[in-house]
Amino acid sequence: MTAWIDFARGPLFRLCFALMVLGLLRIVLITLLGVKEAYQRSSDKIVSWKEIRRQTIGWLFPVARFWRERPIYSLFSFLFHVGMIVTPLFLASHVLLWRNSVGFGWPALPQEVANWLALLVIVTGTGIFLGRVLHSGARELSKFQDFVWPLLIMTPFITGYIASNAVISPRAYQQMMLIHIYSGDLILLMIPFTRLAHCALAPLSQLVTGIAWKFPAGSGDRVAETLGFADRPTWVPKARLATAPDAAQPDTKGESRK
Amino acid sequence: MASVMKVLSKPLTPEEREKAFKSSKKVEVLARQRLPVRYHVEDFDVEDRPRRFLEAFASILKHTNYRLALDHYIRVTTRCARCAVACPIYDATHDPHDIPCYRSELLLSIYRRHFTVSGVLRARLLGDPGLTDEKIQELADSYYNCTACRRCHFECPMGIDHALITHLGRYILSEIGIAPRALVVSTREQLTGATGNTSAIPVPALIDTLEFLTEDIQDEKGIHVPFPVDQEGAEYIFFTAVSDYMMEAETLKGIAAVMKATGGSWTIGTGYYDGINYGLFYSDQVMEHALQKMQVEAKRLGAKKILMGECGHASRTAKYFYPTYCGGKDALPVISILEYTQQALKEGRIKLDPSIVTERVTYHDPCNFSRTGWIVNQPREVLKAFCADYEEMAPNGRSNLCCGGGGGTVSIDEVRPYRTTVSGRLKAEQIRRTGAHYCVAPCANCKKQLRELVEDQGVECEILGLHDLIYKAIILPPDPKPEEELDETAGGSVKLSKGGES
Repeated sequence: MTAWIDFARGPLFRLCFALMVLGLLRIVLITLLGVKEAYQRSSDKIVSWKEIRRQTIGWLFPVARFWRERPIYSLFSFLFHVGMIVTPLFLASHVLLWRNSVGFGWPALPQEVANWLALLVIVTGTGIFLGRVLHSGARELSKFQDFVWPLLIMTPFITGYIASNAVISPRAYQQMMLIHIYSGDLILLMIPFTRLAHCALAPLSQLVTGIAWKFPAGSGDRVAETLGFADRPTWVPKARLATAPDAAQPDTKGESRK
Repeated sequence: MASVMKVLSKPLTPEEREKAFKSSKKVEVLARQRLPVRYHVEDFDVEDRPRRFLEAFASILKHTNYRLALDHYIRVTTRCARCAVACPIYDATHDPHDIPCYRSELLLSIYRRHFTVSGVLRARLLGDPGLTDEKIQELADSYYNCTACRRCHFECPMGIDHALITHLGRYILSEIGIAPRALVVSTREQLTGATGNTSAIPVPALIDTLEFLTEDIQDEKGIHVPFPVDQEGAEYIFFTAVSDYMMEAETLKGIAAVMKATGGSWTIGTGYYDGINYGLFYSDQVMEHALQKMQVEAKRLGAKKILMGECGHASRTAKYFYPTYCGGKDALPVISILEYTQQALKEGRIKLDPSIVTERVTYHDPCNFSRTGWIVNQPREVLKAFCADYEEMAPNGRSNLCCGGGGGTVSIDEVRPYRTTVSGRLKAEQIRRTGAHYCVAPCANCKKQLRELVEDQGVECEILGLHDLIYKAIILPPDPKPEEELDETAGGSVKLSKGGES
């Protein structure tokens, strides 16, 4: 069993981690290129970057937004995310493992704090799982995988917590570690291919939405043409005006919107 | 806010539910169209709907930017149902199918199944038959239950804009002939008809109306207030919902009075005088063409700015899509009459008598103004300047509740029971709670919907526009002698840069 554990936290972990990083890089890059292409296709370059920035930052630190709707669920969800990110990154034994394997490390959390954080993840994870099951709307909306995700994500936390805190036999300890490491690797591997990808994509959402509302000029006509409706009766301008700029006064340019 | 919505919501009774969702279609129409959606659709080829839907979807994906959003949304959606509590429709029906995320998922699942590699592979493995007529029916029902008020957008932690998906879904449906008859008939008149506007008002009728309004003001205020028509070189060209010329005389009189008092140089063009753009609700092509008509008219008269009347969707379309279709950064600036009036008031160029309106006044934020944060405080500043008893609704501002007739549904008379019992349910309670005598709603669509709403729900409140109230209270300077008039028109024009920042 030791060999299996060593394999999972050595080569397998490195593989899963690399795939996660590359996979996330890929979709982030695809999204950003999509944004660039869409921006170039649209003739309207007036984008309210300020609003996009405001909303993005607002959702990354949504403390003020909990109380608006479903406050308990939202609070639990936020704490769940905080614990889920902080605990594995700053657990002393994880940092040590990383240091031994890659050669550098970073300061770790005291074990006491890490324990509480792991408990927090387990409690809030159970909470948001129940929130999904008990809220009639969310339950109807959810698919099978939506119920499985919180459980799968809690698995390494539960097993990790038991392994490092409970007084158990060495054999049980090893079993816990086995589940802990393999489930952790599995989650890392699945991140870029599933909706867990929102860990990298969610900060881009406001940008994507903002740009997606910028429609390319003439797209409606081109769609109609492709569908064979080119001769559908409509108002036909004498000359194609879509690209010709208005006779705007120099001092009024772009003043209507910043 | 959560608490407000919880207090307000009363469950829908079974009778109300049945009435709201009943199809008004005649049997022969149903047999011909084979689509039992509540609003009528145009007669169109009904064969092979799924295939044509997918063709239209593919074509739209090819030529537009929607793919960016769809790709992103299918990767991040977590279906947490947080948007449910933000949706006034779900609050009324408590039907999971009315959750914004569920509504978006209808279209996202079609996209996933037919336009992504993994979706196609999975369908091969599982033998998924793909899009069916039933699914199109559900889509058609669902996307016109939504009022596209965009309230849910603020509550989605993943930043999904369900209104964008609704917009796209309706666009695809319209390309296979599924669109509310009311909207299609109006835009057909606007884009191909002889009158060139959605209410089919011919130019002589318009001129008559304007002359009549001028006489009316002369009688009431004793001052000559003109509605300038076809004046070349005017600073502002004025567009409003064309229905205002028939229904909202008081609003127009108020606007003319404000323009007179500020000495603004404005004009209404007889070539095109309709601000309405139903394209926003169902078709990008219609939206583009209607805006181009606006551009041609502005160019013909050499106007420097576009002034939008009291109409939410028309103003939003002009403000946010005029640059899209009419020249990007070089497009004419668009300002709303609400911005104009507030600016003029701030500069002391209009005077309002605070002793006229003594009844309680409340303000309804039209979604298309407030959701983007564009016009939230301007009308409030104006109202507070002359209404002693001003009461806010809760929630208000950017997170206001939709009147229930958004997204073009207000024009569909077939769905009035739905609008006044389901989508406007919370709004009626909200207005009732303020105890206001006047509810100011500076939007033609909101006004129509709210009037029907207070009538059907038995709320004692008069619905009017901001300029209706201003007209009551405005103190117009006495008619100057002819030589002074020239000075005045040369002197007064709103500094737009200030208006844009506020």
